[in-house]
Amino acid sequence: MGPLTCFAVNPKGVRFETQQDEEEVILFLRQHIITNIWWVLVAIIMVLAPTVVLPFLLRFLRLPINLPPGYFVIGTLFWYVATFGFILGNFLRWFFNIYIVTNQRVVDIDFVHLLYKEFSEARIDKIQDLTYKSGGVFAAFFNFGDVYVQTAGELPNFEFGSVPRPERVVETIAEVSRKAKNNV
Amino acid sequence: MTPTLPTVVFLAVKLLALVGLGVYALFAGIMVRQEQLMGAVLEEAFEPVLRVVTIVHFVVSVGVLLLAIVLL
Repeated sequence: MGPLTCFAVNPKGVRFETQQDEEEVILFLRQHIITNIWWVLVAIIMVLAPTVVLPFLLRFLRLPINLPPGYFVIGTLFWYVATFGFILGNFLRWFFNIYIVTNQRVVDIDFVHLLYKEFSEARIDKIQDLTYKSGGVFAAFFNFGDVYVQTAGELPNFEFGSVPRPERVVETIAEVSRKAKNNV
Repeated sequence: MTPTLPTVVFLAVKLLALVGLGVYALFAGIMVRQEQLMGAVLEEAFEPVLRVVTIVHFVVSVGVLLLAIVLL
C-alpha cells in the first residue's frame, strides 16, 4: 500500500490503535486523492509567488522605505518554510483522515486539524442501513461520493466523506455485515 | 532618496518578526507531536517518513528563527 492509497481491499501492512489480534482489515479508505486539488493549487501559487508574483508587484509598488537585505532573506526563507508547512499540514490531514472496515467493526479516524482528532467505531453487526450519495461534476468524473452508515440505537452514525468507488464500499460493508450477523 | 525607518519602528518590526517566527516554530513543534500521536493510532509503512518530514520542518523553522535573531 503506497502513501497515496485511498482505496484498498484487504490491505497489507496496516494496523490501527485498538485492533485485536483476530481482527482483519477488510477495507481501508481515505478521501479521494482529487479532493486535495484545491490546496495543491494554492501551494503551487505560494511556491511561485516570491519568484513570479512578488517581482511583478514590486515593479508597480515602490516601497516608501529602505528595508535591510536581512529582512528579504528571512522573509523569503520563512515564506518557503510556511509554504512547506501548509503542504505538510494539509497532507497530514488527508493522510490520517481514514475509514476502516474490519471483520468486526467500522472505524472512523478523523484528524480534523492539528489540535483535534476523533476516533469512533461501531460493531459491524449493528449496522442497519447503508446509503451513498455522489453528486457534482468532480464526483461523477472521478467516481467518489459520501457513504452513510446507520447503526442501531444510541451508537454513532458514520459518514465516509468523498471516498472512492462508493458503490463498492457499500457492497463490501453490506457483505461483511451480513456475514457477521449470520455468525451471531 | 528612499528614507530609512526610525530605530524605534525598526525595533518593533524586528520584535514582531521574531515573535511571528517563534509562534510558527511552536506550530511546527505541535505538528511533530500530533504526527507522533496519529502515528500511534495508525501504523502504516509511510508513517516513519512523515515523522522525519515533520521533524525536518520543525528543525528548519527553528533554524530560520535563529537566523532571524542573528540577521535582523
